[in-house]
Amino acid sequence: MSSKPNEDRWGIIRDSIIAVLASLLIVLFAAVLLSTGTIAIPPQSTNRPLANYYLRTVFNHDLQWLWSSSPETVSAILLDHRGIDTVYGVGIFFITIMATLMLTSKLENSSRVKDMGMDIITRSVSKIILLTLPVIAVSIALHGHLAPGGGFQGGTVFALAVSTAFIALGQGFLWSRGWSRHRLLGLGVLGLVIIFSIALAIPVAGLFRGLKTYIMQNQWKPWSPIGFGYAYNLYGLEILYSGSLLFLNIALFIAMSSGLTLVFTLLMLREEHGKGGHG
Amino acid sequence: MINDILWSYIYALVITIIALTIYGMATRPNIVKKLIMLSMLFSTVCLMAVIIGVHSGSIKPPVYPGITFTEHPWAGTAELDIFSYEAVDPILQVLVMVAIIIGSVVLLFLGYVAIMVYRRYGTLDMRLIELRRREGYG
Repeated sequence: MSSKPNEDRWGIIRDSIIAVLASLLIVLFAAVLLSTGTIAIPPQSTNRPLANYYLRTVFNHDLQWLWSSSPETVSAILLDHRGIDTVYGVGIFFITIMATLMLTSKLENSSRVKDMGMDIITRSVSKIILLTLPVIAVSIALHGHLAPGGGFQGGTVFALAVSTAFIALGQGFLWSRGWSRHRLLGLGVLGLVIIFSIALAIPVAGLFRGLKTYIMQNQWKPWSPIGFGYAYNLYGLEILYSGSLLFLNIALFIAMSSGLTLVFTLLMLREEHGKGGHG
Repeated sequence: MINDILWSYIYALVITIIALTIYGMATRPNIVKKLIMLSMLFSTVCLMAVIIGVHSGSIKPPVYPGITFTEHPWAGTAELDIFSYEAVDPILQVLVMVAIIIGSVVLLFLGYVAIMVYRRYGTLDMRLIELRRREGYG
């Protein structure tokens, strides 16, 4: 890093001005937050009214026209009350992946790369991890409407498992077993298609029956008496699936795991090709 | 009293880290260091959002307890009122979750952009990149 000597004094002055400005900005920000009551010291003794509304309605059997039939408030808000936000979020995710793929479109076919990975200890340990982490990921995704977790988190865990395998076992390990960029992208698009078909399932059903419905609708409403239901009777066992939440979690798991795996593996390929050494 | 000091300390720490990361992003010439600062700023803002959701009652996660696939007893307004008093604010957790997903992908994309810049100009230093652009390099 070479810099001209006469720039140093100006650089120090400029840095101090930026430091003062940054601290002023953040002090102003904190003052605004304190004066509007967004942050309180010590914190308020109860929840805010909006949070109380969600916490009281998402699993309230007495108010079934407002509920989401899921005990997990975060998943219920994410996939039902604010479902369209999540659909847009996944849209941004895939647009970014498309942009990344466009940047890396000149990469050669990676199955030719001869890379045996790391030593025997790391390979053995990561084989055990590769066996257990996907199981944990699927479990997190399938219990998204019952316990903390969901499709986003499960997909991220799955992508991390694949990245571990990619680093430790070598690149050929996955590519020789039929994984490819096109298949991963196809899986991601499949997840997106499932999400959009769940979002449009109730409106299409309402169209045929002449009912008023909403996009991303989960449970029935008094003015829109159609929904996914919340429990399935399997030989006398009532299985709680919380309407569209279970299906959306599965679809998000497919989309997130394949999309993140794609970008992680591409990032590692890039290092390998760019430097020509062991990245 | 100790509670007040502790909470002031937590907020002061978070706010100081935010100020430091803004300073670092503005002054460090290396793009990778700028990205590190951006990710630190992002994590700290997420942490601050989660802290804002905390209240001083009895704290539990916003998940109604005791529900499994097969056991889901009736829960009415009385039970849910007690639950809403104990649980933390779920809305900020939802915001943070969507922000983490989008933020991580945007960070990955910026990482790719940094790689492209390095391939084109041979450096990640903003001052050198500016010099080489003036010279018509790349």
